Amino acid sequence: MKIRILILFTLFTSLVIAQEGKKVQFLGGARSVLSASDFLTDEKDTVTVGKTTGGYALIDLGIKINPNPRTEILGMFRINNSFGGFWGSDVTFGVRQLHVKGIAGKGIRYQLGNIDYKLSPYTCYNSNPDLILPSFGTTSIKEQIINYESFYKSNTWRQQGAAVDFILDFSKYQDEVKFKGFLFRLNPSNQGALFERLYGGGSIVLKHHKNFQIGANLANVFDVRGTALNNDVYRNQVATLIYQYSHESEKLNTELSGESGFSNTFSTEQINSNLKDYFIHFKWNTTLKKTGWMFEVSYMDNGAEFRSAGAQSKRIDYNQQNSYYQRYTNNQILRPISYYDLYNDPSLYAMEFSTKLMDFNPAINNVLPYGIATFNRRGAYFSVNYSDKKERISTQLKYYRLGEIRGQGTLALRKFDYFIGAINFNPSAVFHWKKSQTVSLALGYQHTNRDSQFAQEAIGLESYTFNVGVSCEILDKLYFIGNTFMFKSTGNETLPIRDSKGTIINFQASTISGNEYCLSGGLKFEFSKDVYLSIFYEHNKNSFMALNPYQFNQFQVVYFMKF
Amino acid sequence: MERILQFLIFAIFLVGCRKDELKKMDGPLLADLNSKFSVITSLKASKDSVNFSTNESVYFNAEFSKVATWKLEIIGQTSGAVKEITGTGSKLTSNEASWDGSTTIFPVFRSEICKARLTIEGEDDTLITTVKVNQPKVNSGFVVADFEAGFNSGWSSFVQAGAKMDFQIKSDITSPQGSGYLNMAGTVDWDWLIGLINFKATAYGNKTFPLSSNPSNLFFNVLVWGEESLVNSLVLFQFQEDENGDGNFSANSEDMYSHQITINWVGWKLISIRYSDLVSMANGAPAAASGNGVFEPNKLMQINMLHLANPKSGYAKSKLDYIIFTQNNPLKP
Repeated sequence: MKIRILILFTLFTSLVIAQEGKKVQFLGGARSVLSASDFLTDEKDTVTVGKTTGGYALIDLGIKINPNPRTEILGMFRINNSFGGFWGSDVTFGVRQLHVKGIAGKGIRYQLGNIDYKLSPYTCYNSNPDLILPSFGTTSIKEQIINYESFYKSNTWRQQGAAVDFILDFSKYQDEVKFKGFLFRLNPSNQGALFERLYGGGSIVLKHHKNFQIGANLANVFDVRGTALNNDVYRNQVATLIYQYSHESEKLNTELSGESGFSNTFSTEQINSNLKDYFIHFKWNTTLKKTGWMFEVSYMDNGAEFRSAGAQSKRIDYNQQNSYYQRYTNNQILRPISYYDLYNDPSLYAMEFSTKLMDFNPAINNVLPYGIATFNRRGAYFSVNYSDKKERISTQLKYYRLGEIRGQGTLALRKFDYFIGAINFNPSAVFHWKKSQTVSLALGYQHTNRDSQFAQEAIGLESYTFNVGVSCEILDKLYFIGNTFMFKSTGNETLPIRDSKGTIINFQASTISGNEYCLSGGLKFEFSKDVYLSIFYEHNKNSFMALNPYQFNQFQVVYFMKF
Repeated sequence: MERILQFLIFAIFLVGCRKDELKKMDGPLLADLNSKFSVITSLKASKDSVNFSTNESVYFNAEFSKVATWKLEIIGQTSGAVKEITGTGSKLTSNEASWDGSTTIFPVFRSEICKARLTIEGEDDTLITTVKVNQPKVNSGFVVADFEAGFNSGWSSFVQAGAKMDFQIKSDITSPQGSGYLNMAGTVDWDWLIGLINFKATAYGNKTFPLSSNPSNLFFNVLVWGEESLVNSLVLFQFQEDENGDGNFSANSEDMYSHQITINWVGWKLISIRYSDLVSMANGAPAAASGNGVFEPNKLMQINMLHLANPKSGYAKSKLDYIIFTQNNPLKP
């Protein structure tokens, strides 16, 4: 039946195309992945099947209709076929995207349906605190698939609801005022204990001349009273002030900007568990125009009880199980989520944000586990960027020196050091080669420390993440791509255990010691910018489970297309 | 502009002067968590006896020297029913350890003396107290069948003439609620159907079951037994709606919704489903409803219960008890 509907719909739209010209457009993507894996452990494992093969082909077919120049209707379907399933078996159909958007009146833009939305880093913002390094080579192919599958586009969250925005232009005074408003549905009521939960808010930003703007944001998660069989409704209210002042001269650009605000989180029947706090975050940066250097100094103070569901939700909740080699060894122990899974398993990623604090892995990111809006952090960070005008080299360096504001289980406070650096080197530009060659290197370092005379309170945890990637064009459009990815963490940490309201009820002390590395290499043929075929092999080794280290060997063929 | 900028910088630094929180902390004290465990207040019930039938409840108190993960088991000394409550904390109070007479492991509690046993993870201590249940919990809802009064003459049934057939109401201590339950067993090697019972609304003196019209607020509940080493039983419930109110069900023009239960567990298990989550099926596969396609529990005129098994799988056995509709929430027995 579904196939029939799809064929009829395609025929219908083809007719419309013939009749209406550019009013209907097709867009979407196609992808096919074929993989063969070999899983090995040091311990004799007679239960886990080591070798697996798998793959799928999928197509996302979108039809964009413009019934008039001010309206756009988009519907996108997905057909997914797992390899090995033909003639209807293992074929799934789904709707990937539906929206209507347009312009009403003199300039009120509106959108209904699926909306990719962000507001500001402390209100509604999809940060990525787990893949802390930029991706190159094979890792960039994997991250591209994850981002596409999870609808991650420049820090937006996929929401369902309605959004509007418009600008009032006061050209006479060189001013303009931007308005934004949104209302999304986070979850429906189940007519029982679960409330209808909505997310609404907006922003007003006044822009004066070209160099000054000030505005206010409001983001509010709220349960709708009367949609469930109790009165304990949840609220998370976040209000912020944003500001930016810039000055431009012949030699340099200077900018002072920031965001400050407060949050109030509570359940109406449990007033004692009310969380109320504020944050302040401002930055000053200067760009030396002629040399390509940029310097930035920032200060942040995020209160211990500051909560913002739209900004503190993680993409990955570590309180879930892998879908790939979930258990191993003869005792069938659970395999924890590793960096390999973060790069390879889109099913681990959340598509919508959560009002609960998600679990995090301190080895991967203990400093800002919930992104820049992480609560209970105070300190400064510094950035230095350099970009060569001839595109021979570019660097981005950032160092955070942060600390806790309030202790956890003790009055002693954690202190954090966090460094991220990335260098992109382009030999083609240096040696004037026609073919593209790039070498990229990135390093992440985190250190957590809590001094105490009591052994149970003392914490010391160090993590290194390292990624080197190459992309060398060996024939026209044919690239050799390769990566060395390494991750190492040692030390101890005491993680909080929270109840359903987020209150800490206990602590779990853990010792962390292990490393993971992944070597990969292969070929990539680019048919065009958004269409490529890649074949690569990778070797991954993980020793974070000290008694049960394991390794993968994997061969993958990936075809990717966007149109 | 300069004034605005000055004001902004002033405001930033004003707000930045956060009062120190050096004397505050989140969570329990780590020093306490790492200290030696001891019981400060032993386990005690808030009352010696409780009447759950009048919505009374009982709670338990205990206090430890540090936060611990604990498990409270309340065990019926006659029935063997078990209620489990778990938590993490240094205290048990009415917030953490309140009991409304409900059951975790069947059978349900009776009028009996119950032993409450508190164990703490990683510690040897076991704290014990007792509480007497004067009257067990009474569940509100419409009881379709609890099999306490035998076979209702308004029901109809059909049982195949297979081997080792035992399709009848029994009464013994294995019953999860009361003493009666429906036993369903036998070998039928030519058909999936082993036996069925039709529960008709007329058996209760009505044309339709006395249920609300809101399918989202109505739950169908049944206790189902899974036999050890036999995983071939299926129980299919069919819900026939009399849409035109003529007192008859027409399969071609009126809705019949279904819920099929694959029994793959051992012992008694509560199955609950929201009426609006029932599905329309044809030959075991989802299909379009034959009637108006609207869930109308207030028009439900008959429930069919079919015990099924693959004819190739041999002997099949299951049991049923306490078929009940509840309002707003699933049954909490």
